Amino acid sequence: MTAVIAAFHLSKWYGNVLGLNDVSLDIEEGVTGLLGPNGAGKSTFMKLITGQMKPALGTVTVRGRKTWNDPSVFREIGYCPEQDVFYEDVTGWEFLTGLLGFYGYARPAIEERAARALDIVDLTEVKDRLIRGYSRGMRQRIKFAQAIAHDPEILILDEPLSGLDPLGKRKLIRLIKGLRDQGRTILVSSHVLPEIEALTSRIVLIHQGKILAQGDIPYVRELIEAHPHQISVRSSDPRALAARFVGDVSIQKMTFGPDGRTLVVETHRRDDFFGRLTGVVLEAGIEVDEISSPDDNLKSVFEYLVGK
Amino acid sequence: MTASKSVGRTFKFFVFLGRRTGKTRVFAVLGLIPVALAVVVRVFLRGRTGLMADVSTEILMVFFLQFYIVLLALFYGTSVTAEEVENRTLSYLITRPLPKPAFVLGKFAAYAFVVFMMVAVSLALSYFVLNAARLGEPGLYATFLRYLGVLGLGILAYMAFFTFLGTVLKRAIIVGLMFGFGWENVIQYFPGSTQRFSIVHYLKSLLPYHAGSVSGGKGVALLLFRLEPTDPFLAALALAAITAVLLALACVVFRTKEYLFED
Repeated sequence: MTAVIAAFHLSKWYGNVLGLNDVSLDIEEGVTGLLGPNGAGKSTFMKLITGQMKPALGTVTVRGRKTWNDPSVFREIGYCPEQDVFYEDVTGWEFLTGLLGFYGYARPAIEERAARALDIVDLTEVKDRLIRGYSRGMRQRIKFAQAIAHDPEILILDEPLSGLDPLGKRKLIRLIKGLRDQGRTILVSSHVLPEIEALTSRIVLIHQGKILAQGDIPYVRELIEAHPHQISVRSSDPRALAARFVGDVSIQKMTFGPDGRTLVVETHRRDDFFGRLTGVVLEAGIEVDEISSPDDNLKSVFEYLVGK
Repeated sequence: MTASKSVGRTFKFFVFLGRRTGKTRVFAVLGLIPVALAVVVRVFLRGRTGLMADVSTEILMVFFLQFYIVLLALFYGTSVTAEEVENRTLSYLITRPLPKPAFVLGKFAAYAFVVFMMVAVSLALSYFVLNAARLGEPGLYATFLRYLGVLGLGILAYMAFFTFLGTVLKRAIIVGLMFGFGWENVIQYFPGSTQRFSIVHYLKSLLPYHAGSVSGGKGVALLLFRLEPTDPFLAALALAAITAVLLALACVVFRTKEYLFED
């Protein structure tokens, strides 16, 4: 399959700070997930693809065309920025029709496209309200609407699910999948693995400006599973709880928190631990106040992968 | 897509946005100050014409020429590119199928139009209130149009300068303030060719003469003091050249510069 978006030895510096480091990547039709912790270089990569930045080294092309200072390419690209920024003094309708005006459509076509985009993101009812009065979820959806309103073949979505409630997320995921089924090329970034997992099985892991790995979800899952997880359990009797787990081979390390009520467990087999924990708690009659995973984020996983 | 169509589309978008912003409401209210003062002066003159009306009109022009249009041009000119960068809305614009210079020119034209309309309304109201006793004189209208034309050229030249500053500098407004209310106010009074390094020199060179005014060396000479006016044709040409060159430079900078947001 031919690459729709192609990066070749792409690098970008911000002064002395490396934003992207020698990235070579082909993105094909369908949904590709760009996964990495905050500051990994996801947005930089997307800004280079959308011609908002000029590569320091290397090239990035969309359907064979370089994007820096070639406005014609933007008829095919829809971009949803990460930042929650708008022209606040306009309504959702005015925002969409105003931006669609840049494509040279006649007024009826502008209105038809704006109405369709608003309908897709369920904002028709509030289209005449000023954007400044929109909730976070609405703002996220109107941002998505402006990216799809001109019906582009390629969508670059920078953290499109952030700020949405679970229902909103589900709707947007369904929508993105629908666009994928129409044969579009979609690049979605996120720092949350389940979000990407819900959208695609094809993911690219990016960290500190470098592509760490790319492949399908099971491969990435495997990498992540190898990473030891920390689980923190706050309970009425953490020492009694610890005593029950001492002989468990899945546990690598146990420590007690400074509050005297927290047991911090390190394990490679998180699911096994959770499976046993329920039984132990019931058996011993220990009251559990809170279970959390202090390092249950991609950053620690990525740091672990880099360190490997 | 032709360049003029691209500029036209940007113009349309930003005329709409420009009218909506709170900034426009504030500056429109500021434009009512000379109108209010004109009403006060009118009441004081009680129908008299002549020197007092001329003096008042020249004071009015000082307000417009050396304060109001400079202030408006400063805030609207620097915001042509800077507000998109500061508000991070630039992404919405530069990912559209329009050449980058079209955004600069279209938004410049849109904001210049909004500024001109504010100035025109304010000038018209205050001028005709001040000269209410002479509304039957055809010369009054010719002078008004000339004033309006001079202010229009001033808006274009100042805005082009501030637009250019906005594309180059991060804190363009500070440098703009120093230029608009420092440099311009001082340099215009320098003898010899030094005064020609100010925009206001060319604008004043285009203003009509009044009896007892600058040409007579009496009355309001201090207010619209012109040491060595440039020929009106050359002055207009200089203002057009200043506008064109600075806008072209702004377009070149905006096309080549990367605007990175401070995340």
